[in-house]
Amino acid sequence: MGLAARAIEAEGIPTVALSIVREITEKTPPPRALYLRFPFGHALGEPGKPDQHHQVLARAFALLFAAPGPGTIADAGLRWRREEYGAPDWGQWRTLGPGR
Amino acid sequence: MALNRLRNRLGALVFTAFPSLAARWARRLEADAGAVPWAPPLVALARSTLALVTTGGVHLSTQPPFVMDDPDGDPTVRELPVDAPRAALTITHDYYDHRDADRDLNLVWPAERLREWVAEKALGRLHATGYAFMGHIDGPHLATFARSSAPQVARRLRAAGVDYALLVPA
Repeated sequence: MGLAARAIEAEGIPTVALSIVREITEKTPPPRALYLRFPFGHALGEPGKPDQHHQVLARAFALLFAAPGPGTIADAGLRWRREEYGAPDWGQWRTLGPGR
Repeated sequence: MALNRLRNRLGALVFTAFPSLAARWARRLEADAGAVPWAPPLVALARSTLALVTTGGVHLSTQPPFVMDDPDGDPTVRELPVDAPRAALTITHDYYDHRDADRDLNLVWPAERLREWVAEKALGRLHATGYAFMGHIDGPHLATFARSSAPQVARRLRAAGVDYALLVPA
């Protein structure tokens, strides 16, 4: 994952990667990684929970614009199966961009 | 099923159930602390084109599956239309428990979720072609992946004028 993100970023395309095992990500850090304490095969969360998936994506996109420099691994701070996920905040998410 | 595939699938069940074992295993991996590139994000998400990349082993059922009987994995890539219907897609990846992802492919291939971002005008566009790898890559295949498969995808994304890429692991 880290190598793929680096290759894409090296072509001038900013990347953000989700990370499931922080120790793996730390070995080959991508430019920006959002670390989730979720099991393998569940980077977006649980099946059939679109609100959760959207909240994970929103955190990843926020990191895309907020990461301070290469090799950033940000902890999403979400607990597996112990979080309440609200409805998507489209109004806020439509404003995501540089400087946000 | 070959004995080694059965062993890999059993290992995947254990690693999925006990992530701390995966963390312990990861500590033995070699670090690749090479320079991490950096491209500053310049475009608002709502005006951008995003590419989706997964290492979850997703592919079209009509494409050759990822190789599962090589202990070093498979460094090749599959190109997928991001609007491919669920019935046209499958997962070949013995190294994680993908029963939940089989039920809801968004867990490793969130094309449906990202189309919702586009419909809500929070994302400009989803690049029509997504890319899928099978994340278990080791031994000599690592060099193939780093020097060939990954840069090839990167060049295609650049040629297509993609603004950003989201990478989703298994």
